[in-house]
Amino acid sequence: MRLLATLLLALVATHAAADPVRLPILVPVTGFLSLEGTSQRNGALLALKQAPAGLATGEVVDTATAPENAVNALLRALDASPVPAIVAPMLGTQMLALMPTAAEEKLPLVTVSGTASLTEQGNPWVFRFFPSDKLAKEAHVRYAVEQLGKRKLALIYQTTAYGQSGATYIAASAKRHGATLMFSEGIDTDVKDLAPILGRAAASGADVLLFHLHAGSTALAIRQVAALGITLPVVAGSALHQPATAALLDPKELKGVCAESGSSPISGGSPRLDKFLADYRAAFGADPDAYALAQYDGTQMLLDVLAQGARSGEQVRAALSAGQWDGVAMHYASDGHGDMAHSAVILCYDGLSRVPKIVQHYDGLDAG
Amino acid sequence: MTGSMPAELLTLAQLLLNGLALGAAYALVALGFVLVLNATGAVNFAQGDMVMLGGYAAVALGRVLPVSGLMLLPLVMGAMAGFGLLFSVLAWRPFRHRPPIFGLLATVALGLTLQEAMNALEGAAPQAGPALLGVGEIRLGPLGLSRASLGILFACLVLGLAQGWLLTRTQFGRRLRASAQDPVTARALGIPVDRLIAASFMLATALAGAVGLLLSGPYFVTPTSGNDLILRAYIAATIGGWGSLRGAVAGAMLIALFESVVAGYASSVVATAALYGAVLLLLMLRPAGLFPAPLGRRA
Repeated sequence: MRLLATLLLALVATHAAADPVRLPILVPVTGFLSLEGTSQRNGALLALKQAPAGLATGEVVDTATAPENAVNALLRALDASPVPAIVAPMLGTQMLALMPTAAEEKLPLVTVSGTASLTEQGNPWVFRFFPSDKLAKEAHVRYAVEQLGKRKLALIYQTTAYGQSGATYIAASAKRHGATLMFSEGIDTDVKDLAPILGRAAASGADVLLFHLHAGSTALAIRQVAALGITLPVVAGSALHQPATAALLDPKELKGVCAESGSSPISGGSPRLDKFLADYRAAFGADPDAYALAQYDGTQMLLDVLAQGARSGEQVRAALSAGQWDGVAMHYASDGHGDMAHSAVILCYDGLSRVPKIVQHYDGLDAG
Repeated sequence: MTGSMPAELLTLAQLLLNGLALGAAYALVALGFVLVLNATGAVNFAQGDMVMLGGYAAVALGRVLPVSGLMLLPLVMGAMAGFGLLFSVLAWRPFRHRPPIFGLLATVALGLTLQEAMNALEGAAPQAGPALLGVGEIRLGPLGLSRASLGILFACLVLGLAQGWLLTRTQFGRRLRASAQDPVTARALGIPVDRLIAASFMLATALAGAVGLLLSGPYFVTPTSGNDLILRAYIAATIGGWGSLRGAVAGAMLIALFESVVAGYASSVVATAALYGAVLLLLMLRPAGLFPAPLGRRA
């Protein structure tokens, strides 16, 4: 009888071990962030598709844009059965809403949100695989100052939370690097005629234009810079690296324009990156952006941790905190606060195509 | 006159010209809004979303027919006119005997449905439609104007005049206005009120399609791009004179001049604040708007 019970237990345990791990993918695939959210989802799904058979199954839930949507999605995901981690939305406000529950449930959140404050809250359950706004803006300014040799900066930013946060980091970084903000002004996302603000920025005595804008405004600004014949060099924010943004512009309008980003998958540059690019295109029929690649890398590290036997949130957290991962975009390791990404790139367009070339890598951006 | 005066005047002239072109775009949206207002007495909050839909129609047609925007214009307007008929069936006809708030909410609901539908179909990323008259700038002496802006100005002039002629000089327009003012009496006199209103929805939506095409090239289109436009159209119609075509154009120009000229000397944030301050002041001093229309006086 005892032998039979032991055999039954062993059978149940074996069966349980063979059950794929549920991995909820909570991402904003509708609403104003759906372009980026779809990239995030695709990155996670591609990593899952390439995982060892039977290891994990993804469950995509749309969080749209409201924080309460994300919280509801998380609670629903937890209702069914225990999960070891969550692929968490890239929208900063949703992440901030999820973090208390994650801490309560001891559940790691693997995200690509750039909102710097996420890893400044002392919450050990957040793991970010994308350079924070703070690091990205450091690369943005360093390129203008160190590589272009410009010290008189004109900044045009969006008046959204994203834009104002980035503008603060740019101002701080400019001060650190001995540059002067000759002009700094915000615009709403619905501003269509940027000629007035561009004219004043150009007349401010600045020797470089920095944009920290959402995709539509970035494309409008670059188009109008070209139309107005403004000859100042332009270094844009990460919105420009997205293939969908560059697709709005004629290659001639992009000539000489540069931008910061976590990576630029369509630029290629290594066999692993080329393979990722081919796999992504085959799976989704679209070009990947840096968010897709970052979430792919983050999910692959998570899946590796699961493959090594971690099954509880605590085990996954310990492994992600202590481990390192040689991702496709960059090398990832926690800084002790959940920031796994410490690199950024600068990419520039040659005026002949919409595929940018990476001209500068910045590693260890938060080392100082 | 100082040596710097010509340069300053040139800057002002360029800002005014840019404002005029932008105002023409807003005016076209406001004209469609006023057309439905004049036909039904109801506020059509989906007019901005119709513009958005027209933009996507232009993008979609541009993918299969690689011709200029000018060639696509009649196709977009025709397709949108058909949609306008459907729109009147869904958002106006079921509520025509109910208080106006029902119709207003129906247009809001339909507009939001269109936004979500386009988000699901095309995603949130901005998309660029075909250029109406090619790309590049045209020099007008020392001033420059993009071909897209020139096309918008031209379209505003033609479509605005055509609409004014239609509403004030034709039997159709007179019947339409009579139907809006007193539908019961109009029906008693044998005027086909419902058909006239359906026709006005078709016209307004075709107009929105034209605006959508015109704006999708230079300013791109997103599922939510109609929101900003309907707000401006509503303000333009209000400050211009509720139901007045001239007023709608004047109101739209005023908004655009604030956005262009004030932003050129202060900032876009200041321009927005100053615009809404001016709107409040205008409503206090001239509650019926710049060009009060009979409909507005009744309201």
